[in-house]
Amino acid sequence: MSANADTKKKFRSKSRKERTTRILIYIFLTLLCLIWLIPFFYLVFQAFRGESRSMVTYVFPKEWSLENFRILFKETNFLNWYFNTLIVALFNAVLQTVIVLSVAYALSRMRFKGRKLLMNLMLILGMFPGFLSMIATYFILKLIGLTSENAIPGLILVYAASSGMGYYIAKGFFDTIPKSLDEAARIDGATRSRVFFRIIMPMSKPIIIYTIMMAFIAPWGDFMYASLITFGHEEAYNVAVGLYKWLDKEHINSYFTVFCAGGLFVSVPVTALFMALQRYYVEGVTGGAVKG
Amino acid sequence: MAEVSLTNVKKQYDNGFVAVHDFNLEIKNEEFIVLVGPSGCGKSTTLRMIAGLEDITDGEIAIDGTVVNDMEPKDRDIAMVFQNYALYPHMSVYENIAFGLRLRKVPNKEIHQKVLEAAEILGITELLGRKPKQLSGGQRQRVAIGRAIVRIPKVFLMDEPLSNLDAKLRNQMRAEIILLRQKIRTTFVYVTHDQTEAMTLGDRIVIMKDGYVMQVGTPQELFNHPANLFVAGFIGTPQMNFFDAVLKKSGEGYKAAVGDYEVNVPKYICDELDKLEQVPENVQLGVRPENLIIDPLGEKGIRASIKVTEMMGSELHIHAEYWDGKPIILKVQIADLTDEEQNRLISKESVAFTFRERTINLFRNDDGRNLAVPGAVPVPKTEKFVPEEKSKKNKKDNKKK
Repeated sequence: MSANADTKKKFRSKSRKERTTRILIYIFLTLLCLIWLIPFFYLVFQAFRGESRSMVTYVFPKEWSLENFRILFKETNFLNWYFNTLIVALFNAVLQTVIVLSVAYALSRMRFKGRKLLMNLMLILGMFPGFLSMIATYFILKLIGLTSENAIPGLILVYAASSGMGYYIAKGFFDTIPKSLDEAARIDGATRSRVFFRIIMPMSKPIIIYTIMMAFIAPWGDFMYASLITFGHEEAYNVAVGLYKWLDKEHINSYFTVFCAGGLFVSVPVTALFMALQRYYVEGVTGGAVKG
Repeated sequence: MAEVSLTNVKKQYDNGFVAVHDFNLEIKNEEFIVLVGPSGCGKSTTLRMIAGLEDITDGEIAIDGTVVNDMEPKDRDIAMVFQNYALYPHMSVYENIAFGLRLRKVPNKEIHQKVLEAAEILGITELLGRKPKQLSGGQRQRVAIGRAIVRIPKVFLMDEPLSNLDAKLRNQMRAEIILLRQKIRTTFVYVTHDQTEAMTLGDRIVIMKDGYVMQVGTPQELFNHPANLFVAGFIGTPQMNFFDAVLKKSGEGYKAAVGDYEVNVPKYICDELDKLEQVPENVQLGVRPENLIIDPLGEKGIRASIKVTEMMGSELHIHAEYWDGKPIILKVQIADLTDEEQNRLISKESVAFTFRERTINLFRNDDGRNLAVPGAVPVPKTEKFVPEEKSKKNKKDNKKK
């Protein structure tokens, strides 16, 4: 009887200990979430502030208003910048996804001379920060007339041109798909491209979604290349460059709250994209293909 | 339906490793050929070369007289069943089977009819709407076979199709493959490491070791007249027993002495021995466990001490040890023993046995070749492979030293 009671006590004390640990973990996580969300809520409050458009020392607005959004859409070039960014991001999402997946599949499946050298070279080149090549890239683009007012195709070209170098995550994914599926399809009568599009692609939703999201997000938030290639040509700005201009000395006092309103709109497409695609992002479809 | 011929086929990988050496084989129309051997012997590589999934380093592969060395797999009119099924997970069973036909632009009506026929043959009609992940291992393998038979290919290749199934299902599927073969008369090339599958399925068996063909023959030929010690040991369960023996001329024929016990060498072996320039004195005498005639009282013949006995139901396997420590396996039918004899054997006392003379095989001590099989291949010595780059480096290092 006493032994039984001891065991019960032991279990109870264990579960109590576990519960305490869990509570502490959740408190810590909640704190992290709050810290992470503070800048976002700050942005929201500033965007709806009606009393003054300059930076203030308090967080909650005294007067709620939509005036900042009216100014954003009616009195500034924001919509134009937004459209520019969307075009570049959409084009890049398509081009980069096609290029990255093709390169990754080829490197995963084909064996050719210099394959390892090529992979190592791309990996090493990728370690250098992109801005090292900015000046050279700018002059090349200028030579072919893709800067300033023609910056949008120029930007698309810049983003897409180096995208193949980001092959490794997709290659890692393709490496997990059994080669025997490709071989079965080739024997069934498929060409290599058919195998890629009809067998491998339908099984690769998570990596396609991941690549699309990354390819969309990178140009959406890019500042460096966009500011260099547009070179002060306001019509061709993207949102990052455009909005940043409102933070300089002469604009900040009259545009800070408008900047915050613009910031809110910038986060919309990325959030929407993630919400729409996240269910594919986590689900795998290889079940039953091979002996598991 | 097609003939397949492999002439001097060699496969060497970039790192210098030779997976298949000088492979020669003529596969007849509608023949069922089984490639068998231990892991890494080159059997799957050979099959993949026939399929076109591996390039050939040297030699020639022809299907129906057409050299297919540089032909894409899709143009060879072959079908293949993989060890791990390789079903398309995003397609239903119906679409998996129909995929090959769709790529060949067969009209939909015909596809439907052929898929139903194939499903009927394999008993998977009710599974056509399911996805591969909803199927059991046996069902998946049936779908994989269905995908292969639906096109009625010239050559049907199977790469260890039963290895992933449990023992019971494997036996069942093996019987189904025999039935399937009767229904679709085509040329089969089947790879396995399981000698039971090889013996039961094959018209002819090709035994391989370290990339070399050891013997090609019917199951009976391989079982009764193995070309060398490797084949003798590989085919048959439990494996053949080997004894150190001394060959002596005795009148017209020969006698082989195992210790004090002498056995008359069968006439067909004597005839082959007479053709030799020099008859070796020391040989290996091979006898299958079922061909050792056992004296349960432990009196007549060669004596051995019993180590382990295994009751297999209708037969008893006795693991014994010869005086020099060599293991011997004997197989005896339970029905042939009295209760007393059974008890004596199971209680691990000694056993005595003699040979069923006409079933013995004699092998050379030096290279393991069977003295009675003309043109027998010696057993290759397994060498540890060192990749070319490394071996070059080693040579350089040695030079420096």
